[in-house]
Amino acid sequence: MTTPIMTRRDFLKLSAATAGVLAASDLLIPFSQVEPALASAPIGSETWIPTACNMCGGQTGVYAKVVDGRVAKIEPNPDNPIGVSNISTDYWAHKREGAAMCPKGNAAVMQIYDPDRVKKPLKRTNPEKGKDVDPRFVEISWDEAYNTIAAKLKALRDAGEAHKLIYFSEDHSFVNIQADFCDLYGTPNYHNHSNLCDVARKASFKLVMGDERPLADFVQSRYIVLFGWNPTSATKWSHLPRVISRAMENGARMVVVDPNLSQTAARAQWWIPLRPGTDGALALGVAHEIIKRGYHDQAFIDEWTVGFDQYKDYLFGKVDGVEKSPEWAEQITTVPAANIRKLAFELGTTKPALVDVWSGPGQHSNAVQGGRAIALLNVLLGNVDKPGTMMNPERRGNARQAPKKPALDSLKQPRLDGHLTKYPFSHGSGIYTETLDNLRLGKGAYIPKIGMVVFQNLVLSVPGTQNVIDALKKLEFLTVVDTHLSETALLADIVIPGTTYLERYDFTTNWVTWTNVSLRQPVVKPIFGQPAEYEFVTELGRRLGLTDGDGKDYFRLGKKSQAPVDDLTKWYEEYLSLELEKGGPAITLDQLKALPGATWIDPKGTTYEKFKSEVKPPDGSATKDKAQLVKSADGTRLLGYVDSSKAAFDLDGKTFIAPSDAKFEDVIVIVDKDNKLWGFVVSAQPNGYADAKGVLRDKAMAVVAVQMKSGKFSKGFNTLSRKLEFFSAQAAAKKDANGNQLDGLPAYAPRDWQPNKDFPMYLVNWKEASHTHSRTFNNPWLMGIQPSNPIALNAKTAAKLGIKDGDAVWIESPYGKAKASVHLTEGIHPEVVGWQHGFGHWGFGKVARGKGTGDGQFNVTKSDAISGMALHKEVCVKIYRA
Amino acid sequence: MAKKRYAMVIDLKRCVDCDACTIACKQENHTPPGVAYTRVLRKEVGEYPNVRRQFLPILCNHCEHPPCVPVCPVGATWKREQDGIVVVDYEKCIGCRYCMTACPYGARFFDFGENYSEPLNVFEAQASNEYGKQWNRANGNSPIGNVRKCTFCVHRLDKGLEPACVQTCMPKARLFGDLNDPDSEVSRLLAERRSFVLKEELGTGPNVYYIT
Repeated sequence: MTTPIMTRRDFLKLSAATAGVLAASDLLIPFSQVEPALASAPIGSETWIPTACNMCGGQTGVYAKVVDGRVAKIEPNPDNPIGVSNISTDYWAHKREGAAMCPKGNAAVMQIYDPDRVKKPLKRTNPEKGKDVDPRFVEISWDEAYNTIAAKLKALRDAGEAHKLIYFSEDHSFVNIQADFCDLYGTPNYHNHSNLCDVARKASFKLVMGDERPLADFVQSRYIVLFGWNPTSATKWSHLPRVISRAMENGARMVVVDPNLSQTAARAQWWIPLRPGTDGALALGVAHEIIKRGYHDQAFIDEWTVGFDQYKDYLFGKVDGVEKSPEWAEQITTVPAANIRKLAFELGTTKPALVDVWSGPGQHSNAVQGGRAIALLNVLLGNVDKPGTMMNPERRGNARQAPKKPALDSLKQPRLDGHLTKYPFSHGSGIYTETLDNLRLGKGAYIPKIGMVVFQNLVLSVPGTQNVIDALKKLEFLTVVDTHLSETALLADIVIPGTTYLERYDFTTNWVTWTNVSLRQPVVKPIFGQPAEYEFVTELGRRLGLTDGDGKDYFRLGKKSQAPVDDLTKWYEEYLSLELEKGGPAITLDQLKALPGATWIDPKGTTYEKFKSEVKPPDGSATKDKAQLVKSADGTRLLGYVDSSKAAFDLDGKTFIAPSDAKFEDVIVIVDKDNKLWGFVVSAQPNGYADAKGVLRDKAMAVVAVQMKSGKFSKGFNTLSRKLEFFSAQAAAKKDANGNQLDGLPAYAPRDWQPNKDFPMYLVNWKEASHTHSRTFNNPWLMGIQPSNPIALNAKTAAKLGIKDGDAVWIESPYGKAKASVHLTEGIHPEVVGWQHGFGHWGFGKVARGKGTGDGQFNVTKSDAISGMALHKEVCVKIYRA
Repeated sequence: MAKKRYAMVIDLKRCVDCDACTIACKQENHTPPGVAYTRVLRKEVGEYPNVRRQFLPILCNHCEHPPCVPVCPVGATWKREQDGIVVVDYEKCIGCRYCMTACPYGARFFDFGENYSEPLNVFEAQASNEYGKQWNRANGNSPIGNVRKCTFCVHRLDKGLEPACVQTCMPKARLFGDLNDPDSEVSRLLAERRSFVLKEELGTGPNVYYIT
């Protein structure tokens, strides 16, 4: 070879190492020496700065080139695993191939410099609000903006009504600081985006596996079944197309269950279309066949699960008299029984395999139980936390350092959204539909008065567009922080210009199977001189004089130094640094910045079968059978124990007399060599856990391990039983938001909204690589690759309806009617129409306006009754020629 | 220095139809509306439920016998001796667009001077580095009024970097290298895998290969 320039390996070295700053002569330097030193070396006025994309929540690692203070180029950052692989060994082996970036990541330069961005604070001068009402915004000074908002918030708080502030924000950006603000201001009503995304999946997996965000190990898998997920296009993380392609090259078979032939389904060997929201029935039919043929992993089930017999009885009709056979599932799903048997055979006889589910089935009213049925296919086959299966990721990223809450009465008010009360397995992100519909209808514990919406477009992203508008109109005062005049911002009283990710800080963590923390950092200062969102909320906290539970001036004292820090950016840098220092990395912010790609990677890498790790009582400990715990009268505190000879000891092993109002509970007690209580084992499991030998709880009464047949304790899973749960006693003890008793089994029930003769078609929506949520639609490059969302209609159904490709049609539901154009395809279920989400803007900007059709307008403002997941995909319509 | 024969190999089993390449190219080469050096075509085949979609990324084929070259009346486009890249000299190009007609692949585009934002936004106002020079369209200068096409990112190759579309590709479906080097990954892939080129019957000798 006469020149070093042209081998692929050299290309890889370079792209991996420097993203574009080397001269050819540098190629002679060995890779290992090149990599760290030049990662962000300035060349002239040109600098490459590592950061983490936030064009979507996938937040892949990137390098941004900045020339004379302007962003000139963004390229993938292979020093961050998110763009390469979610498995450590695969990442380290293939890092040199370079990382990846999606079209949105490549289009960020047009997002930051979009001429339609909001540049100055705006004040509404037209008191009337509504979809077609001009807000008559006028520019105001920053001081006026802050003072106006602070005055409104102060008046509300002074009136003892701080809880009447409702707050909505993104879920992966500046979350902790805003949660702090809500806590210290005094409102329990902080919502963030997750509730609109995947909280049904979270509830399903949490109930089954004790982990709300298990991740699929695609690259090591041999058989991949995806229910309602399009990972190669709706690329939640930019490594997904790569690891899925590699898995298939390595011989994996991929099956995609989806009413729509998504890009992933198109790449799969097998597409299984079905009626929307029937995925749970399909999973039960597959499970029935797996058990009938004996493909299930009985040894794994015996050791690591609870409730298998009840589950089996349910599948074979002994619970409700209905056998969940493939024929039963065919009637519900339209998937031929023979195909269900074939799927069961292939899945049941191929290892390792994985079955995953996301927001296709997840945004339906029966999503949680359906998701459990799907998740349990992994359990049935022992495909849990092993290579090539569904993994329990390690999560030791940055750690929130929450302030001590002040003892405000307003904080003792209930949340408006029924979090964990009305919706039994809801997520901390809240229930948007409940809060907003209560506001609209004047229902709920109290009526909110002020709204704060940050980096969220509620009007286009919450089901029931008109309802959301009507709700927001009722607020006395609404502040919206956004980069654009979104449809929600058009209803605001004050609009604050937001930042793009290139102008701000944050951490990215948890998107791969082992701990990584990568930094998002401002590669340029906010281009209109505006504060980043965290600075805005900090300044507001200062003007309100918010103090923490210790009476300290929270938003002024540096979190580390505890000394006043006036500069808002420097204050937040301390805030972030402390989260890092207290988290897994245990390094400072400056140390993170100095790491290659500004990414901390846990050298331990991906670990497997963590549930097997043994939890050992200390040396010299003793087990006391037939003992009793002594608890406080309210049962919340542990006071001591009584041994089999009826002698009572306190927690330190000293003899004591139990208070007369103490509560006693039969357990096995474990004491250390000094007779101090170390933990206790609940041997007779209540609530249907009879088949678990026992769970070990520590002194704080937290469940820490499960006792195996050998008598040893294993970490197990983070469920109540510490095992994988076919039957959930926790669920069986709860009622859903409609007051219906929950089933401890993953019982199938049809979704609430079914087609009828007036509205005979299912309407679904999906996401593709071209756009994020509803917020990339003013980006001319992205609109260039996906300018509209014609409604996809099965060609044979269309022939019956007399509709041709490209025809204009009316789409009508009981709640809305709009025109759209038709795209005929063979790739959609004949009873279903569907389209890409996010179109139909009347705000946002010149490019976005008037393109395609919004999907929320056909819907009601409703959530699933178990997890509170917004029901984006549960809609029925009719479609006819316009 | 030995002659090279640059080629791109696109693994259609990997392509996921994401258009990351399309946009990466826009970002790298500052192409205006109506100019896209690379795109992804898609086609549906089969009948419900046995239906598939095929994805085909397309770009200039940097042909061995490029039909666009001999039609140029001013010699503004040619195939480089040293590496086979078909280039356009914006300073010579008179914008007659004969080459666009001659190209059987629709891989050439005319820069009509349109912009995404008026006035130009901060990114659009920055110069493109095509052919290792600074091209600033801000004042109606070249390449406005010229024919533009994929350069295999020759300005990146000169720095030892992959073309932008190759670097960004999410499934790593695009591979780039020198076919005159028998050890290159592209040579190896073409030896190991079944491949085709577009419109082979025309005898243009494309250097963009598709493997299946």
